[in-house]
Amino acid sequence: MQFTRRDFLGLTVTGSAIYGLGSTAPRFLAHAAERAGEQDRVLVVIQLSGGNDGLNTVIPFRHDVYRKSRPQLALAADRVLKIDDELGFHPELTGLARLLEAGELAIVQGVGYPNPNRSHFESMDIWHTCQRKTDQRLDGWLGRAIDRLQHEPSSDAIALHLGEKKQPFALTSQHWRVPSVRSLEQFRLQGNQETQAQTIKQLVESKRSNSSDLLDFVQSSTATAVDVSQRFDQIGKSYQPKAEYPESALGQKLKTVAQLIDAGLSTRIYYVEVDGFDTHAQQAPAHESLLREVGNALAAFTTDMGGQGQGDRVLSVCFSEFGRRVQENASSGTDHGTAGPMILAGAKVKAGLIGEHPSLTDLEQGDLKFHTDFRQVYAGILEQWLECESPSILGGEFEPVSLIDG
Amino acid sequence: MTIHAQIDPQWAWSPVQPDEWTLRKAAHLYRRGGFSASAEQLSQATRLTPHEAVRGLIEATEESTTQYETLANSVLATGNADNLTAWWMYRLLHTAAPLREKLTLFWHGHFATSAEKVTDSQLMYQQNVLLREHALGNFGALLHEISRDPAMLLYLDSASNRKAHPNENYAREIMELFCLGEGNYTEQDIRELARCFTGWEVRAKRFRFNRYQHDNGEKTIFGQTGDFSGDDGIDLVLAQPSGPEFLCTKLVKFFVADEPSPSTELIAPLAQEFRDSGLQIRSVIDRILNSNYFFSEQVIGRKVRSPVEYAVGLLRTLEGSTNFYDLAARLDDLGQKLFFPPNVKGWEGGRTWINSSTLLARANLVRDLLDREETRFAGGGMVDLCDKHELKSPAEVVDWLQANLLAVELSPDVRSGLVRKLESGTEPRERRLRQVVYLICTMPEFQLS
Repeated sequence: MQFTRRDFLGLTVTGSAIYGLGSTAPRFLAHAAERAGEQDRVLVVIQLSGGNDGLNTVIPFRHDVYRKSRPQLALAADRVLKIDDELGFHPELTGLARLLEAGELAIVQGVGYPNPNRSHFESMDIWHTCQRKTDQRLDGWLGRAIDRLQHEPSSDAIALHLGEKKQPFALTSQHWRVPSVRSLEQFRLQGNQETQAQTIKQLVESKRSNSSDLLDFVQSSTATAVDVSQRFDQIGKSYQPKAEYPESALGQKLKTVAQLIDAGLSTRIYYVEVDGFDTHAQQAPAHESLLREVGNALAAFTTDMGGQGQGDRVLSVCFSEFGRRVQENASSGTDHGTAGPMILAGAKVKAGLIGEHPSLTDLEQGDLKFHTDFRQVYAGILEQWLECESPSILGGEFEPVSLIDG
Repeated sequence: MTIHAQIDPQWAWSPVQPDEWTLRKAAHLYRRGGFSASAEQLSQATRLTPHEAVRGLIEATEESTTQYETLANSVLATGNADNLTAWWMYRLLHTAAPLREKLTLFWHGHFATSAEKVTDSQLMYQQNVLLREHALGNFGALLHEISRDPAMLLYLDSASNRKAHPNENYAREIMELFCLGEGNYTEQDIRELARCFTGWEVRAKRFRFNRYQHDNGEKTIFGQTGDFSGDDGIDLVLAQPSGPEFLCTKLVKFFVADEPSPSTELIAPLAQEFRDSGLQIRSVIDRILNSNYFFSEQVIGRKVRSPVEYAVGLLRTLEGSTNFYDLAARLDDLGQKLFFPPNVKGWEGGRTWINSSTLLARANLVRDLLDREETRFAGGGMVDLCDKHELKSPAEVVDWLQANLLAVELSPDVRSGLVRKLESGTEPRERRLRQVVYLICTMPEFQLS
């Protein structure tokens, strides 16, 4: 049974506007939330932190250079899950192979950017902000998208970060605080006083005379936290998953996302992370288990969304800050590299391989050369999925990659 | 955004005038240079000059380390690194040398190494001992030591760095994160430096140089060529001009203000001091903590409290004690589990400490702390603490809590709201007092240092 959004509209206003604090933010927004409606499309971003080895994700298994560069790590033709005659998935990616067969998976190959930076942090910041270190970075690409998508406070946060770590820069917006949620259970104020949250909220929202930029930030963040925790208290318990989620951390996070979508939240963007892809040593077992986690969780989520009748409005996208070097190192691992594949899942994706596999013979300092700028993929997501203009968000015109069917 | 740009570096780092030395400034010094202090300690500090108070912090030593060592041995015997986290929390709550602990925490974040990957608590503990020993010492010596520290070698995979295929991880991080900063080296420098570290291994929990795996060939790093060893490589990195700026910037962010990033001009005098002293950490800390800028209104209350500062600071201020194992376990929810930094970059700090989950976790940590019978203040309840400090009226209590706990004053509305909570209600006074402490801890003001 679908828990309808009307059941809890008007209860609280979450995702406080930064500028709405102190003065009383308008709280009527039931009709606005309703208008936002159940038809709005949802984007789920899955960040693979540490630099995923793209070459052992989508594998050019026939290629001599691949086999010779990776005496320890190369996967043999009889082990890969064939995509075509040249390329195959890592054997642990059965979940993705299944999605591909169902026409719900797209693989954009050879994604990167010019003058690649091999520092995790710098490269991640580039992916998050679309800006280089020399630019003044104030917000992230999704933060800018949020600023285009939402103009007034709404009953639900426009974007949510599900994770225990610091919030991704990509979600930093000029106008809205994006809540970070570790888990639904953890996300509530403890204590037996029913009025406690209300008291805190009242004190937090009272006007500050000695305000500073930093105090304002903490003030609006606290108000958002209390709002969202009150909102989550109202979330229905009716959700029944239509797929079996793995017990892995990512599996459970995506299950939470599914639960929130099913509950009728008007949130448009969800962000989750999986860490551990920095496989400098003994890569094979670690990478195997990470890919299994990603593949199975993504497959379960996509299947569940389809089963809930939400398949047409949910798109998931996986990215990593860089790929890894073609040549393996002495520790049976791989060092930081450049281009890699991006993976998209959902009922509406243009299924199959998009773009060529990057050349294994035409390398730059031992690294793959990119042919598709990540901002072209972002442009596709922004224009074809979230329906907002991309140049002002991406800081320039990028030819969108065609990602969505119809 | 450009507050720092307008600051005169000459003025900024000159010694602060001893007049206008107040309890508020003493509390600031102890919040930043330590983990806050009791009202008694603060009142003692106000009877000194600021420079004497800073010297006291810099020169403080533990009266005895026996209790810490005994506890360390017992937690190491469990083999569980979570207990090591609790051990450090205990030490932070009781230390007589808070600045040394603060710097040990700084270096732990700087040379971030996680028990998650290292998995050997003994090695993590040894690294902690190393960081504490060098916390205020010579940076060059610290860098040489940490480069052969077994936990570090395991964490950054240098332990499997072989001649045939050098592993670049440690070479990259020593330049990017430990010494120079991104952009002050080339990818070629990293590859060549990685060759210097080939053959640096861990055997039987100790550092070992395996000469069969060391690449003796010529390397070119920063334009210099030679058959450099690992130690030569470290010295080449230490000689780079960008190092002192990079490190002083990080120290200023940690001790002075999170944002905006300090300008090159502001850092220059500190970097010069650092260079001239032969990279003595103490010289820079001494200069920072004694300075005009450090004690200025532009700096007080302009940092986000880290989770450790939040929890330990509350207890040290209120002369509190509690179950430190449970407290340590809860810090993970706030985003700072000691011995388990999130990645090689350590904790980023500043605004990244704050999001809706960590804020709720902060509130819940204090809720839990206050609801526990075993949490004591001045050996008893909040009532006893108030009696000890002769706080009678609700307004006196709120003002005392505010003066001791907060870097930023509460607005009059909030203050009077809290006074009303204390005045009214049917609950016993102890519960009302605890509720007011709880509410203060959930206020935006308490998140700032």
